[in-house]
Amino acid sequence: MVFNSIAFVVFLPIVVLLFYLLPHKWRWLMLLAASCVFYMWFVPKYILILFITIVIDYAAGILMERYADQPRQKKSFMIISIVSTLTVLLVFKYLNFLTENLDQLCASLGMETHLMTHIILPIGLSFHTFQSMSYVIEVYRGHQKAERHFGYYSLYVMFFPQLVTGPIEQPGNLLRQLHEKKEFRYENISKGMRLILFGFFIKMVVADHLGEYVDEVYGHLDEYNSWSVWLAMFFYSFQIYCDFFGYSTIALGSAKLMGFDITDNFRSPYLSKSIAEFWHRWHISLSTWFRDYVYIPLGGSRVKFGRWAFNILVVFVLSGIWHGAAWTFLLWGFAHGLLHIVEKVLRNRIPTKEPQSKWLRISIDALCVVKTFVLVTLFWVMFRATDFEHLRSIFVTAFTNFGGGEQISVKSGMWLYLGLFILSDVLLRNTRFDIWCENKPLVLRWLLYSTLVFMVIACSSVNNFPFIYFQF
Amino acid sequence: MKKLLIHIGMVLAMLMVLNWVYSKWFYKKDLVEHSDIVEMSWQVTEDSCRIIYLAESSNNHFGDDEPNHRKISDFTADYFPMVKLGHLTKEASHAQTHYYLLKQIPKESAVETVVETMNLRSFGAGWIYSDLETALRKQLVLLEDYPPLMNRFLLAFEAYPIKSKDEWNALVMEHWKTDPLGFPYDFEWNNTHQWDSAMAWRGWHDAEGHRDQQKTELACHYIKSYGFQITDDNPRVKDFDAIVELCHERGWNLVFNLMAENVDKANELVGKDLMFLMQRNREYLLNRYGHLEGVTIVDNFDLVRDAEFIDQNWTTEHYYEYGRRLIAHHLAQTLRHFYPADYHDPDSLRFALQRQ
Repeated sequence: MVFNSIAFVVFLPIVVLLFYLLPHKWRWLMLLAASCVFYMWFVPKYILILFITIVIDYAAGILMERYADQPRQKKSFMIISIVSTLTVLLVFKYLNFLTENLDQLCASLGMETHLMTHIILPIGLSFHTFQSMSYVIEVYRGHQKAERHFGYYSLYVMFFPQLVTGPIEQPGNLLRQLHEKKEFRYENISKGMRLILFGFFIKMVVADHLGEYVDEVYGHLDEYNSWSVWLAMFFYSFQIYCDFFGYSTIALGSAKLMGFDITDNFRSPYLSKSIAEFWHRWHISLSTWFRDYVYIPLGGSRVKFGRWAFNILVVFVLSGIWHGAAWTFLLWGFAHGLLHIVEKVLRNRIPTKEPQSKWLRISIDALCVVKTFVLVTLFWVMFRATDFEHLRSIFVTAFTNFGGGEQISVKSGMWLYLGLFILSDVLLRNTRFDIWCENKPLVLRWLLYSTLVFMVIACSSVNNFPFIYFQF
Repeated sequence: MKKLLIHIGMVLAMLMVLNWVYSKWFYKKDLVEHSDIVEMSWQVTEDSCRIIYLAESSNNHFGDDEPNHRKISDFTADYFPMVKLGHLTKEASHAQTHYYLLKQIPKESAVETVVETMNLRSFGAGWIYSDLETALRKQLVLLEDYPPLMNRFLLAFEAYPIKSKDEWNALVMEHWKTDPLGFPYDFEWNNTHQWDSAMAWRGWHDAEGHRDQQKTELACHYIKSYGFQITDDNPRVKDFDAIVELCHERGWNLVFNLMAENVDKANELVGKDLMFLMQRNREYLLNRYGHLEGVTIVDNFDLVRDAEFIDQNWTTEHYYEYGRRLIAHHLAQTLRHFYPADYHDPDSLRFALQRQ
């Protein structure tokens, strides 16, 4: 079930109503059933894959706790669990890619092979496998008690608001809250509704309209000139942000309706002054996951520069591959890692003094924001390109076709929607929409709600753009 | 809880205001952008048409080498020069689409008679679950009977069947595999899929016993297009019922124009079993609608011969000029009952019908 569907609009109020009507001891069951319905709305049989990973990780958690005083045993259970989860990920997400490349490799060596598989990726696999692994590692580290209740553990992995596109939750936050008795509070309903409304606006009004232009230009590069391609690059930066941010905000709001607080995934990432800062503001739950479970175990930053650079590259390359099984994603991750290292080198080599003048400081900050945005935008091209050939075509058209081809026309409304979003992003750089609304006068608040409701209904794109991160 | 109820009241008031704003300044623009077919309904209303002809591609499909690109509706209009006849033609459309278009024509319009194309193939799974349905159904969402803002909400939240081509095809296949053919005698195959597979396997053979692959494939198309049984729960039957009800409410004469099918080819390629199903479906429609008050059926089912069909390698209701004229002539004889004083036999038609 996707959030921007009539099915979800009917589903969510029913679930929330049932949640508050049922006594606490039955709520987990209702939420689990609702999560199953939510997931099975896509392709029902894929729930079996989810079930397998849940059973393995649930058992591993209990076994690790039981053998807490036998480190080798305990470690072996963790390894078994992680290997099994990664195997599922490998088979369903990466096998097509691996076999395709193996075929190509064999072909280049003069051998004809037909190893290529055609496995369909279950929706949200990367998200819930990472969430599951997070639990196993936390139990292994002793930060989290093993969950004995199979239902609660299943719900931790399957909690529908964040099941298919995150945020990737850690057990310390979500699992704990699932056990808590939630009372009906008007404040939660109000905040949740605000977040859902804002999420719909940025997904359906901003992201989907931008997507129409991006798809048109990237799908017909030979018909458009360089200016159109540059505009598509600019639009894609906001499309992917609004698409994912919109989904995460709706997820946050849906959970908040029932009193659950899930992790904020974004904090105005395009206002970052460096790539390092960007990754502290973009897809925060994934960055945190990689920091906690890959970067720090590798040694983090408390190592020599060479080792640190290696750690950074490993994390970013893994992050790239996590997004998709393609060389372009790997390149995208590598580019981010490399830039991260270059930035650090430059920072160390060129010591900068804080300027005295406020305006000079603001100007320098603004320049840094623009620089980071431009670089991130260029890197998004690798992310969006279907393959290297497409990537090459995008850049070739962007730099060589200023005279020929058509200039894409942009609807005036589009600039208005994007402008409104950018304004909101600046206003909300240190807060969240639901909190920001709280201390505003009633009239202003309701005027804002009315405008958003109207825009979501009357100005949304009617083309079907699935959430971009669904494919991961 | 009291606070919640107050806020629910405020939301409802807000929605009413927004609906007013949307209806006044945005709805029409959206209709033009997302449901452009409705412009045809506006046009026939604006033109004060007294007869309206609703059709799919059978009305406006012409042979590549045909100099005369006049539609069936144009030829029909020739018989009633003093009566304004307008057409609403949309490729791949069907009774459901036409029902929504008719609803857009106000009761106080000049319309007196509605001619609705009745296409036998449109009752089959291949058309009902065609992959064109997503786009067609999307166009109808804004035309629902709800307040305009609600319609726009349904469109934004995709309250129409969104399926990929593969999903639609799977649905068609499911019906071909499960819908009974309902022969009253022993028939070798239980469903359309089995029959089609058998034809593909056995092949079509000429008089000398040679397998003809092209004709085999065409025979399979005929089985898939006509090898079904229309029953009361067929979705298309419900659409035609809705049209009957609407026309009754509005006081319009309703004429169902049952289109000619290539029975010559069906008989040649598949034979008596398929002919039996086609005939039975034809009779079902004649029986169901032929006796209703205010409804007339023009039965063109076997009126047009094989040579007059443009597509010789596919199952369509696309006719050359002579076929279009024949159907128009046949239809005009029924319309004549409603407009006896306005009827006029065009000379050009007499000339054209000499081929008969």
